[in-house]
Amino acid sequence: MENVVELKGVAKNFKGFSVNNMNLQVKQGFVTGFIGANGAGKSTTIKMIMNLLKPDVGEVKIFGLDYATHEKAIKERIGFVYDGNVFFEGLNLKDIKRIVGPAYKKWDDALFYQYVEQFKLPLNKAIKTFSKGMQMKASLAVALSHHAELIIMDEPTAGLDPIFRRELLDLLQELMLDGSRTIFFSTHITTDLDRIADYIAFIQNGELVFTQSIHEVAETYALVKGGMDLLDRDTEKAFVHVHPAPTGFEALTDNIKAVNTIFGDSVVIERASLEEIMYYMKGRKSYV
Amino acid sequence: MFNLIRRDAIIQKRQLLLFIPFIIFFIVMNSHPALIFMVASIIIPFNAYAYDEKAETNILLNSLPYTRKEIIASRYIGAIVYMGISIGLTSLGLLVFDKPFTLTDLAIGSGLFLAFVAFTFPLFYIFRGKITTVIMISFIILAAVLPPFVSFLAKHLTIITDLIASLSTSALYTGVAVVIVLLYAVSWGVTTSIYQRKAF
Repeated sequence: MENVVELKGVAKNFKGFSVNNMNLQVKQGFVTGFIGANGAGKSTTIKMIMNLLKPDVGEVKIFGLDYATHEKAIKERIGFVYDGNVFFEGLNLKDIKRIVGPAYKKWDDALFYQYVEQFKLPLNKAIKTFSKGMQMKASLAVALSHHAELIIMDEPTAGLDPIFRRELLDLLQELMLDGSRTIFFSTHITTDLDRIADYIAFIQNGELVFTQSIHEVAETYALVKGGMDLLDRDTEKAFVHVHPAPTGFEALTDNIKAVNTIFGDSVVIERASLEEIMYYMKGRKSYV
Repeated sequence: MFNLIRRDAIIQKRQLLLFIPFIIFFIVMNSHPALIFMVASIIIPFNAYAYDEKAETNILLNSLPYTRKEIIASRYIGAIVYMGISIGLTSLGLLVFDKPFTLTDLAIGSGLFLAFVAFTFPLFYIFRGKITTVIMISFIILAAVLPPFVSFLAKHLTIITDLIASLSTSALYTGVAVVIVLLYAVSWGVTTSIYQRKAF
C-alpha cells in the first residue's frame, strides 16, 4: 500500500463553492503539505478525508479502506489536529484524556504524559484558559498518543508564534524518523513546507492544481525576469502568468526548457518559492 | 459505546453536585413522586445536549473511532442508563425522607420521561444551535399546562374515559408501555438517519 489517502474523482458542491474532480494521493511515509489560498477548499477536502463530510460523487479511500465498511478501523489509525479547539472548553486535559483515551484501542497513557511534560501543559487547568499555542499543543499531544499511522492537521501553524511554529516543525520531523508515519497537513504559510514537506498538493478554487514532490516543483516551476522588449504574443506562451512592470517583467513558467530555448541568456531564471507559485497561479485564472 | 455514555458524567461532574440538592428540594416540597422521578431523569441526558450542540463536539466525536450510529445509540441507551441511576437515587431520597411512593409512580415517571425523550431527541438534530433552552422551557410549560388539560379532556370526552375505565389496569399499562417502546424505537431510528446525513 503506497497511498495512505486516495481521493478519486471526488466532488462536493455547496452554495457558491465547490470542490471538483479531486484526485489526491498522499504517499505513505512522507510529509505532504496541502497548500492553497483561504477558501480554496483545503478544509473541505480534509473534512472529506475525515468523513465529516460525504462527497457528492467520487471515492475516498484511507489505508486502502472505505468509510462505508471500515470507519472505525480507519479512524483508529488517524491522529487529527484541527484549526480551532474541538475539545470541551470547560474541561481540563486530564478529563479530556479520560474521554478521548478509551476511544482508541492503542491509546498509550505513558506516551501522553510524556508529551504533556514535553509541551509543558498543565493537566488541571481548563482548556479555555489555554493560549492558542497551548491548545494546539494539547491537540497534538492527544493526536500523537495512540500511535497513529496517519496524522492529519488542518492549519496547525495558523496563529502560532514563530518560535513555536519552528518547534512544531522540528517535532513533526522527529515523528517522521520512524519511517512508517504519514503526515498530511494544510497551511497557507508556505515557508513551513520548505522545511519539512516531501510532497506538495496545491489546491485552487476547489481544484487540485498539482501534487508533486518538492524537487519536482523546483524543477518544473521557475521565476523568469527580463526586459519588456522580449515579450510578445508568442513568447508569452511559455509563461503561466506574466507580471509586467516598467522596469521589466517577472513571470512564472512551468516549462523551463522552453524558456531556455526562447530567451537563452537574455533573461534571469530563478527558483520560484511556493508562495510565488501560488501568487502567479492565482493571476492565471484572471488572465485566461 | 460505554465510553460515550460515561463521557456525559465526566463533562457534567460539577453540575452533578447540584443534582442531589435539586432532588431533595423537590422531595421536601412534597411534589408528586412521579413528577420527581421524571424531572430527576431529565437532568443528565438533556444537560448533555447543551454541550453537544456545539459543532466542535460533533467534529471531535466523529473524528474519533466511533460510527455515527454508535454516537446516537449512546444517547438513547445513555438516557435509559441515567434514568435508572436517577430513579435509584430519587427512590433512596424518598425513603430517607419517609415519603411514600408506589411502583406506579415510578412507572408513570419513567414512562413520561421516555416519551419526552422520544419526541425531543430528534429535534436536537433537526434544528441547529440553541434548542436545549427551547426544549427545557417547553417542558416546564408542558408540565404546568398538561395536568389541567388532561382533566378538562377527561370531563368532556367521556367516550375516551369510558374506554380507559373499561380496560383492566394491566391491559392499560401494557398498552401504554408498548406505545412508549415503539415511540422510543421510531425516534431512535429517525435520529440515526438524520445524524448520518449531517455534515460537520
